[in-house]
Amino acid sequence: MSIEIRAIGKRFGNFVALEDINLHIPTGELVALLGPSGCGKTTLLRIIAGMETADVGQVLFAGEETAHVHARDRKVGFVFQHYALFRHMSVFENVAFGLRVKARKVRPAEAEIHSRVMALLKLVQLDWLADRYPSQLSGGQRQRIALARALAVEPRVLLLDEPFGALDTQVRKELRRWLRRLHDEMQISSVFVTHDQEEALEVADRVVVMKQGRIEQIGSPDEVYSSPATPFVYQFLGNVNVFHSRVHGAWAEVAAERREDVPESAVTAFVRPHDIEIEHHPLTGGLEATVQEVHAIGPWVRVELAHASELIEVELTRERATILALAKGQQVWLKPRQIRVFAAPGKTMEEGGSGI
Amino acid sequence: MSGHLRRVNAEPRWLRALLLGVGLGFLFFFLALPLLAVFVEAFAAGWTAYAGALNDPETRSAIGLTLFVALFVLPFNIVFGVAAAWAIAKFDFRGKSLLITLIDLPFAVSPVVVGLVFLLIFGAQGLFGPWLSAHDIKVVFALPGIIIVTLFITSPFVARELIPLMQSQGKEEEEAALSLGAGAWQMFRRVTLPNIKWGLLYGVILANARAMGEFGAVSVVSGHIRGETNTLPLHVEILYNEYNAVGAFASASVLALLALVTLLAKTIVEWRMRRENSMLSADLPAEKT
Repeated sequence: MSIEIRAIGKRFGNFVALEDINLHIPTGELVALLGPSGCGKTTLLRIIAGMETADVGQVLFAGEETAHVHARDRKVGFVFQHYALFRHMSVFENVAFGLRVKARKVRPAEAEIHSRVMALLKLVQLDWLADRYPSQLSGGQRQRIALARALAVEPRVLLLDEPFGALDTQVRKELRRWLRRLHDEMQISSVFVTHDQEEALEVADRVVVMKQGRIEQIGSPDEVYSSPATPFVYQFLGNVNVFHSRVHGAWAEVAAERREDVPESAVTAFVRPHDIEIEHHPLTGGLEATVQEVHAIGPWVRVELAHASELIEVELTRERATILALAKGQQVWLKPRQIRVFAAPGKTMEEGGSGI
Repeated sequence: MSGHLRRVNAEPRWLRALLLGVGLGFLFFFLALPLLAVFVEAFAAGWTAYAGALNDPETRSAIGLTLFVALFVLPFNIVFGVAAAWAIAKFDFRGKSLLITLIDLPFAVSPVVVGLVFLLIFGAQGLFGPWLSAHDIKVVFALPGIIIVTLFITSPFVARELIPLMQSQGKEEEEAALSLGAGAWQMFRRVTLPNIKWGLLYGVILANARAMGEFGAVSVVSGHIRGETNTLPLHVEILYNEYNAVGAFASASVLALLALVTLLAKTIVEWRMRRENSMLSADLPAEKT
């Protein structure tokens, strides 16, 4: 079922939680709401679920206004960050809850409840835990049970609030892939909230980047990563080096030259650490820098360099690092492969790339 | 080797002995000894005198009245306590801290003042006095007055017990129930109530103990009519003032027994709460796939 969000606004006292949010989620799409804590992403999710009411604006499910539909009648599956399993019920009873509270006329018979619950537990691969209590499960297991519980009522929309936020890295990665598979099998619309950019980029069909109650950018994971609409999106999705034209003339000028209407000083250039090439010889348009630190981190080698008292971060592959054989205090030249320039502050100007 | 190994974090022996002695001494002189004295005095004239004192119609009426009042206020306390705790723990609203303060009021006000307040409201010269006497309704110096002050005195116990419990449990489980289609009553009965049942019982036991033992407030509004509005604590005082030591201590022993039963119930509930908590929060990390 599609979800349409129109001009939603919400305040808590003087704090603006959401302002003029517009978003369309077609049926079958998996959307990530991504942003730092306090950006309003959870509030938006709760408004969709009907657990919070918006001050202004509308939420439409399949084209129908939901303002007067109570949370319990929305057919929304909600998964909480801290699972919110019923602690005094067994795993089986947790999953059966949604079926047991149905009005007597539509409530399935006991045998059917049993078979449906067991089918769901098989789906999340935890049918062997049916008699346990939530406290006897690991975090990953709890979240899978919470998901099975939400799916028991055959929701039209699945909402997940930081579903993997409280889990270990390993379990988190596994559950991410699993959620993606499950979503594809279920053919429902899903929205999940996260502050983890990697998670959003890996799992979602579309990513909605939010900041201070507003949407900064909506796009596919590739779009928001490779062509961020604002400096905020650039910085939030991965590491970035920021160059102000006054300081780092050589680079920012290259990009700004083509825009005579903007004064050189009002320009900021963004370059990702892995988009910078290091050379031992002077380059035209290259920045001269001194190697400060070299750390090997997993498959990458991170090099910190100083240029005019500012720190620049560069990520190299292990092979490239071996060839370069960088040493502390060494003098090198830097050249950007991909550079993006914003008028400071805010607006996009132009993209400048120069291949090496 | 000379001497024993001493734990490095242990206090000197004399200090430990002193602290332990002070604690145990206090326990003996102020808790065990008085309790013992009650029973010794009650049985001073033998079993038959004790049984006779308890069989006195006025004493039996006082015991009956005390039990009746305690049972009568119980459902009110449960409803008020759960409702107040629910509102405070699960919702944010204007005047919340004021409500919390108001709930604590009966703890802060002297019981005698409470009695006087209700005397001023319902007494013959009080606010509703003329209206009540015109309709021939007796509140003060009658059963309703005793019930009203007891309600006032005992109202905070359940709420006080439940507020921190419900706050620590948060409202996510309720929200989950809601999103799964549960109605308000289903949510309360299937999710909230099972989570708070031991805390609720604990609060009820404390409120009950207070309801049976209350003296000051009841004393002001009861009128001390023997066989009618005399509760057990009031009866003990009357008998004692009449130099009927055996009667007074026999009645007091009943109160003490009720207190011991309450303590036992409280201990059992505490034990169950702890056991359930440890059972429900024990972690079994095994991740089998």
